[in-house]
Amino acid sequence: MSRASEEPRAADPPKKRAGRARETERTKLLFIGPAVLWILAFTLFPLIYVIYTSFYSFRYGQRLGFVGFDNFARLFSDENLLLDLATTLIFVAGTLAIEMTLGLGLALFLSREIRGRNLLRTAATLPIFATPVAVGYLGITMFYETNGPINNFIRLLGGSGIPWLSDPSWALVSVILVDVWQWTPFVFLIALAGLQGLPQELYDAARVDGASGFQQFRYITFPLMQPILWLIFFLRLVEAFKVFDIPVSLTNGGPGTATEVYSLYTYRTALNFFDYGYAAAQGILLLVIVMLLVSLIFSRVRVLYEEQE
Amino acid sequence: MQRTSTLLRNGLFGVVTIVVFFWVLFPFYWAFLNSIKNPEDTFEPSWIPFLQFRPTLAHWRSELSTPETLHALLNSTMISIGAATLALFLGTLAAYALARFRFNLPSNGTITTWFISQRVFPPVVFVIPFFLLMRQLQLLDSVLGLVLINATFTLPFAVIIMSQMFREVPKELEEAAWVDGASHLQSFSSVVLPLVAPGLAATWIICMAFSWNEFLFALSLTNKSAVPMPVIIAGAQDTRGVQFWFVGVRVLLTMLPPTILALLAQRYIVRGLTLGALKG
Repeated sequence: MSRASEEPRAADPPKKRAGRARETERTKLLFIGPAVLWILAFTLFPLIYVIYTSFYSFRYGQRLGFVGFDNFARLFSDENLLLDLATTLIFVAGTLAIEMTLGLGLALFLSREIRGRNLLRTAATLPIFATPVAVGYLGITMFYETNGPINNFIRLLGGSGIPWLSDPSWALVSVILVDVWQWTPFVFLIALAGLQGLPQELYDAARVDGASGFQQFRYITFPLMQPILWLIFFLRLVEAFKVFDIPVSLTNGGPGTATEVYSLYTYRTALNFFDYGYAAAQGILLLVIVMLLVSLIFSRVRVLYEEQE
Repeated sequence: MQRTSTLLRNGLFGVVTIVVFFWVLFPFYWAFLNSIKNPEDTFEPSWIPFLQFRPTLAHWRSELSTPETLHALLNSTMISIGAATLALFLGTLAAYALARFRFNLPSNGTITTWFISQRVFPPVVFVIPFFLLMRQLQLLDSVLGLVLINATFTLPFAVIIMSQMFREVPKELEEAAWVDGASHLQSFSSVVLPLVAPGLAATWIICMAFSWNEFLFALSLTNKSAVPMPVIIAGAQDTRGVQFWFVGVRVLLTMLPPTILALLAQRYIVRGLTLGALKG
């Protein structure tokens, strides 16, 4: 850059410089303003509206009157809601445990394999971007009990077919498995990107010092990967709590309410029973739960964002 | 000794790689297989078209001549393109401001975090306000309504990815333009934007794929004229049965566009998925 701008700018007359500063201020707001206003209009305003709605009672969509905290009191005596919250927590814990173990394990195992890595990465993007609802319906045919490919395969190995979708416990397992199919590649991709960003010199030095493979993992890989592990955990946790599409398409919340997750219950309260006030209170409870968990984790993830500032 | 363990290792790599490919690709192949099988072949354990069974395009043909499906494909396309374009426009401007200027109160970091935090909210919280809002605006069951909503939820991706792109453009290039008398707006549009064009395209594509896949709001805010693909699969009675051939066609019609789009934006996927925390 031969035309470094500092010098000529310093030589500008003061009036021109002040004009430039004012222009900068204006441009700054002009650029960021629309997005900020948009988010305020479409998320902050609706959030305030949800809080407002949660203080009213509704019947069949008609607002009846102000009821204070009644809708919130209902939350804690609603057995179905608490049961669905438990289902959601099982789903969150199950998917996170399996996806993180499998995804990380694969990334560690394959990170040194050069051949086929790009192809693997390409393959991994496919499930992530496959429409979740479509994946759920595809799941119905895969888990089909009398003649589906999964049960056929199990029978081929000499086992007996599993009631994937008709048994309450197995149905939840099926929902978890479909999510695992879709999101393990996500953990794999990000862990792989993280592993490849680690400084190679450290490993070379460790090898010179005679560190074993396990020692290298324990003292280099693991500590350096920690922020990335938290990042993956954070992103998956947030998404897992949003779960809706897969249980709706695969099992429609059933059999009974075995796979009715929190969001599905709230959706039904709002749009099948038109009990807006109570649904709003449910939404706020879910938001509070997620925000609490996020505030516990986010400080560990923040590092990754701030490194780039 | 060394040789055999290397051999064993390579063998293990090979096996794991094959298992992974099989695990990822089998459901896609299964859907494809069902979509080209005649109903009477559906439950036969046959895997290779032409050799083991006679494939047919009848299901594809009948599905693609169903007006509802065509309409849903069109809706999905309009919603995705509209939402992605809007998100890209708003997001790129904000990203440039975050990458190039200093904000004091709140700081750049805080504003960035604030944009990211939009992705944390469980969308079901917004079902009621959006439903009532769209009813008020007479935008229930309209493509425009879903464009506005999907733009909102993909905006954080655009802001984060683009602000990283802008940080990679050397500031000196712009300063040179300013010396020549260009305004910020001019240097932005004629110097910086062309340099980040690949990033813009990738961001647009990623936002399109996410908007295409969105289901919750599509389900709660449409019932007829604006129904997109994910909702039409869910609504069709015969999808939830043993008519595997229909399931195959519909599932592929729904999920091929976003997966193909994602492959085009491969290089930017990790950035997008981690909301910019990792570059990949």
